[in-house]
Amino acid sequence: MHDGGSEATLLSVKDLHVEFLTSRGALSAVNGVSFDLREGRTLCIVGESGSGKSVTAMSLLQLLPRATSRIPAGQVIFDGRDLVKADEKALRRIRGQDISIVFQDPMSSLNPLLTIGRQVCEPLILHLGMSRRAARERATELLALVGIPSPADSLRGYPHQLSGGQRQRVVIAMALACNPRLLIADEPTTALDVTTQAEILHLLRDLQQRLGMAVIFITHDLGVVAEFADDVLVMYAGRAVEMAPVAEIFANPSHPYTQDLLASIPPFDDTYREELPAIPGMVPPPFDMPKGCAFHPRCRLAVEQCTAAQPPLVTCGPAHQAACIRVAGHGQVLA
Amino acid sequence: MSGDRILVSARNLVKEFAPRGGLFRRNSGGGVRAVDGVSFDINRGETLALVGESGCGKSTTGRLLMRLVEPTSGDTVFDGINLGSIPAATFRTVRQRIQLMFQDPAAAFNPRMKIGTIISEPMRLAGASARECDARVRELLPLVGLAAFHADRYPHEFSGGQRQRIGIARSLSIRPDFIICDEPVSALDVSIQAQVINLLTQMQRQFGLTYLFISHDLRVVRHIADRVAVMYLGRIVEIGEKRAIYSRPMHPYTQALMSAVPLPDPARKVEDVRLKGEIPSAQNIPSGCRFHPRCPRAMPICKTVDPVLAPGADGRQLACHLYSPEPSTKG
Repeated sequence: MHDGGSEATLLSVKDLHVEFLTSRGALSAVNGVSFDLREGRTLCIVGESGSGKSVTAMSLLQLLPRATSRIPAGQVIFDGRDLVKADEKALRRIRGQDISIVFQDPMSSLNPLLTIGRQVCEPLILHLGMSRRAARERATELLALVGIPSPADSLRGYPHQLSGGQRQRVVIAMALACNPRLLIADEPTTALDVTTQAEILHLLRDLQQRLGMAVIFITHDLGVVAEFADDVLVMYAGRAVEMAPVAEIFANPSHPYTQDLLASIPPFDDTYREELPAIPGMVPPPFDMPKGCAFHPRCRLAVEQCTAAQPPLVTCGPAHQAACIRVAGHGQVLA
Repeated sequence: MSGDRILVSARNLVKEFAPRGGLFRRNSGGGVRAVDGVSFDINRGETLALVGESGCGKSTTGRLLMRLVEPTSGDTVFDGINLGSIPAATFRTVRQRIQLMFQDPAAAFNPRMKIGTIISEPMRLAGASARECDARVRELLPLVGLAAFHADRYPHEFSGGQRQRIGIARSLSIRPDFIICDEPVSALDVSIQAQVINLLTQMQRQFGLTYLFISHDLRVVRHIADRVAVMYLGRIVEIGEKRAIYSRPMHPYTQALMSAVPLPDPARKVEDVRLKGEIPSAQNIPSGCRFHPRCPRAMPICKTVDPVLAPGADGRQLACHLYSPEPSTKG
């Protein structure tokens, strides 16, 4: 969409920490993540598996199990209210009404034993207090909105009668039922074919423009990021390592991790490379975090200083921050 | 083309799955034609990629090719031998030269076996001694980027990328000529994906392997393939040299697939060759060209006449009325 700072801040995440309580003690899964999201904008969170992007999304809505996880520090301020401190009753009102979430596997959100109609009507009756009949009418509209053919008939059907792409459309319809102001989409197209993925992305973008909601989109596919994001947050091992508007991040990736992620995408042109640039190794598990910058064991540019301390995010361009000792503004710039 | 150059040929492979019987059986007419007359050749040392949406029959084609699934009709000719017409014992020895790699190799690993045992399993089945197996495992582990001590670990101790390396080592253990790679990198992160793709190409060069690379990822295919075959509902609709197919996709389905690839370039304006609807079920194949209900360029003839795969200009073959020579099809 458009740039400029006219829209109000809808969500403000400040120094978010998430820990999992395990037999090895409390393990840090998210470590000091901060970002702001304005009304109607799209933020893409990117990173490899294990980078903490899904945990971040889940913790925004306090969806992580309380028995095995905790948020020792940080704030999630939505519409002026800190969701970390909100009680279960308040959260239940916000979930599905102000903030909705769509997961990778639509069957994790659909009950196989209930009709589509019953499931799409549920939030309408529950959150908006609609009558059954009104909910049914609205559900038909919603299914039409997300491009389900013959929506009235589909309401009587069951999830198993739909294809993967159709199921994801139904889940999106459910998520949109109460006109949320924020939609969190956690890898919603990863399990789909490219053609279906293109359709779902197109649908989401179209709905976002029509309904004016903000979107947090979690993906590991930088191609999807390029097509969908306004702003990008790159995560590695539970930390934000780079943050910038989408054009900036593709034009001037500043963290070596972002650079390498971009480089490891097979080029879609006729340039033939014998080898694809790969990032050696893998994301370290939370119980085995390296000292200093968590990326240094895989970093082609690592120097001794990288093992000393985790570099903070520093500004390196317009609305652009990166957490690397090489980045200008961090005092010492290395060649 | 001399017969020697070709290692594997699929000849009009057809697989019809019988309708399911049983208690909850529905009155659905006949069987499902998952693969409906697929033919192609793969030259020695080359990579043919088979691309298409889920449900198009690409994995079944891979399995038919090595007769892991018995074809309803059609043949596989491997190195001059028709796999359908040889005695079982000969078949077993020939098939040792063909290996299959899966998307999730862990699903094919016995979780209670050590990695060393898993890697050498195909060799043991072929009658190799314990000593031969050990020696081969020690040779293979460093080759695929693992350490010798990994031989004594169990599958759950490895990440997705490492498991795929183990899968590659196992495929290589018996020194095959031909590997069918079924979505081998689809479940991996891009950074790890690049590692595994590099390993596959390196192994191909080192051992002169021939690959059938089944994938829905057109970015990966563009990197790894020599030739590309595009499948739709059990048929190949376009097949040719990678360079030709990617620089000028001709079949409207191939064009749609190409335009759906998300590219890491925020400035790119997406040309919308989006498809209407979803891939129809193989139970209910449309009349005429099976792609016509979704085709943005469908003509009247497409509803009635099934186009045949015909040779085009640059060595490609194409099944589409848009390019057929008869003047009557124009308009």
